[in-house]
Amino acid sequence: MLVQLPGGWNPLLGRLALDQIPYDNPILAPLFVAVVIGTLVMLGLITYYRKWGYLWKEWLTTVDHKKLGVMYIIIGLVMLFRGFIDGLMIRTQQVWANGPHSSGVFGAVHGYLTPFHFGQVYSAHGLIMILLAATPLLVGFMNIIVPIQIGARDMAYPYLNALGLWITAAAAVLIMISLFVGDFAHNGWFGYAPIFELQYSPGVGVDYWIWTLQLTALGTTLGGINLLVTIIKMRAPGMTWFRLPIFVWTSLSANIIALTSFPALQVALGLVAADRYFGSHFFTAGFGGNLMLYTNLFWLWGHPEVYFVILPAFGMMSEIFPTFSEKPLFGYVTMVAASFAIAGVSWMVWLHHFFTMGAGPQVNSFFSVATMLVGIPTGVKVFNWAFTMYRGRITYSAAMLWAIGALFMLLVGGMTGMMLAVPAINYMVHNSVFVIAHFHSMLLVIVYAIFGSVIFWFPKVFGFRLDEHWAKVMFWLFTAGSMLVFVPMYMLGFMGMTRRLDYVFNPAWHPYLAVMEAGIAVYCLSVLSFVMLLYVSIRDRVKNRAEADAWGSSRSLEWLTHSPVPFYNFAVTPHVNARDEVAWRREHGLDGRQPDRYVDIHMPSNTGMALYIGALTFVLGFALTWRIWWLSLLALVAIILLMVIRSFRGDDGYTITGAELERMEKDALRNRTRADGKYVTDGLGQLAGAAMAYSRNSPPMGGNSSSGSQSGI
Amino acid sequence: MSSVRGYLSGFLISGLLMLAATYMAATHAFPPFGLLMVITVCAAIATIAQTYFLLHIDTAEHNIWNTVSLVLFIPLFVLTIGLTWWMFSQLYLHTMPAMAGMH
Repeated sequence: MLVQLPGGWNPLLGRLALDQIPYDNPILAPLFVAVVIGTLVMLGLITYYRKWGYLWKEWLTTVDHKKLGVMYIIIGLVMLFRGFIDGLMIRTQQVWANGPHSSGVFGAVHGYLTPFHFGQVYSAHGLIMILLAATPLLVGFMNIIVPIQIGARDMAYPYLNALGLWITAAAAVLIMISLFVGDFAHNGWFGYAPIFELQYSPGVGVDYWIWTLQLTALGTTLGGINLLVTIIKMRAPGMTWFRLPIFVWTSLSANIIALTSFPALQVALGLVAADRYFGSHFFTAGFGGNLMLYTNLFWLWGHPEVYFVILPAFGMMSEIFPTFSEKPLFGYVTMVAASFAIAGVSWMVWLHHFFTMGAGPQVNSFFSVATMLVGIPTGVKVFNWAFTMYRGRITYSAAMLWAIGALFMLLVGGMTGMMLAVPAINYMVHNSVFVIAHFHSMLLVIVYAIFGSVIFWFPKVFGFRLDEHWAKVMFWLFTAGSMLVFVPMYMLGFMGMTRRLDYVFNPAWHPYLAVMEAGIAVYCLSVLSFVMLLYVSIRDRVKNRAEADAWGSSRSLEWLTHSPVPFYNFAVTPHVNARDEVAWRREHGLDGRQPDRYVDIHMPSNTGMALYIGALTFVLGFALTWRIWWLSLLALVAIILLMVIRSFRGDDGYTITGAELERMEKDALRNRTRADGKYVTDGLGQLAGAAMAYSRNSPPMGGNSSSGSQSGI
Repeated sequence: MSSVRGYLSGFLISGLLMLAATYMAATHAFPPFGLLMVITVCAAIATIAQTYFLLHIDTAEHNIWNTVSLVLFIPLFVLTIGLTWWMFSQLYLHTMPAMAGMH
């Protein structure tokens, strides 16, 4: 042992002991029971309906970018819910623990959460919402949509894509397991030196935080590399740079940011880990360490990261507005330039997260001006969207409502961002809930864009539209909730309420806190209406079946192929003639054209390797957290071995012959003509089978592929 | 270039440089600031060796996208390292006027 550990440690189990299980916690223990029962029920149902083989072949071993994207989005939605529950707990604690006379239960003097537990809740809330909800949701959409929009069969590296997903899943499992085994970090989602050092946080919480972040960083970096190479190398013939849909452009700029910035996070966390595991002094006050160097390194990644999540959201809005305005996007070239300007400036603004460090007026002025510069390209985008809608034939469909909501939130968040960019104002409201309200407005831009995209691209992925009525109900409930929670939060920020309070001392703030709690209740209703939306839509899926062009006014290439998209994306690689290819074909009467001849397609085989390596990264993270050295070493060696094996074995892929393709395409067209209610499906599994479209009954696994390696497409 | 010899040279060069840097730091071979400079130079040479021998990045035609990313990396490097250096030198100027060992 290089560092002195408080508490026990043994070679077999590391720091893991029975008393690390919080079975006496009145909140976690019942939750644990519920989770166990829920898991058992789910496993039982899968076994009862004999879906294990289906699950294994179609999902767990898949390398299909659309299925991987769907799984990314499912992880994102589940974690969004978990993060929302954390938010609900924070709001409830603050409205309860308000004023000296407020009651306390469960061992807390005020409210129902002890300060230590409350610290874990807000830390988990932030980390989950940014890295395990927003990021996987956006990566999922980029995964599904980008290859189809550029006319590619799959991502450049299908196996790497699966690996990225399973490593992200491992991170999600690791943070979830911290609920029931040990504690989570209480140092906020971005951490502070020196509170995360071992002598101030002796538990395993910070270690969970380190390894969860490291895993998400790794998974997102792998996904970023894949998307970059896909966009650069896999475009269909005729898809020149300036015919790329804007969503592809924003994905490109976002992933350049991801690829260049995530290493900074991994280095920062690696140094924190060195401090905690080897007893080094990178971020201590003494021995040559520097506390602020951590904050610097973290935000060196952190600020590019927030643009990594906002840029794809801008891209989504840029797809939704033209479709429902029945006009091409206004100012395409300036939109591209603005995306790259935002990406470029993202590297020069990170000090605005710690203006109060005391670097002096010159430094603060520089970063203040750089931060305000972001407003220019963002303003260009806002005006472009406005001019896209101007004199357009606007349909206020649910997707459009969400996009307009995102635009509204962007204005609110952007304006308050400009205020915060002024160092003098920043000194006043630093660490107050005004800052919290500002960045929640910005993250709500992303959430709005994501829900808009869920509605917008759902028919492309699953073959039927979501129910418009319930989508709108959800939109209005969500918007009401957002207003009720965040308008009072802005006001409280001006009154001087600081962030992360487990006890709110001022009883005069109670009305505001109560309104925010009411907002959370409305948010709960919007969550319920989302469940209702899914239920009603799946129930009425026959009625809501979608054509290839689900909205009738779609513009970009993804609307050319069938809905749902077949696993090979396009039967024949399309030749691109214009910027808005589908709109161009519609105007020239070329839509609905079928190819007269089909050629063989070469596809990648399924593989379980990505799942195994993902599972092993979870084991590695868990073992490192609890300092079980033998298990860490074992997992690491196993990961390296599997990677070597995979590298040597490679993947020959398999070939879909032209004849097979023709038969599948005919089936697809027949399904399309039977869309008038005669389409028969039974049960949810069948739906998913149809959803992921004409899947083969048994996709060949890697390694035992019978067909020889054919020439590519 | 992706030969055993190439990989071995990349591995040996970076390994030797790391050993040398560790040795110099452990024995305090130079005054602190000189040590900082020497280690930085070692790290820079090791980075270039690894880029060339292990990642096979050169200016050949088939490597055009690698070259593009490398060129894009230079302004980022200058920005991040330069701005960090500037903000911390200003910070020390304002908060700790006499810091022993840094000059």
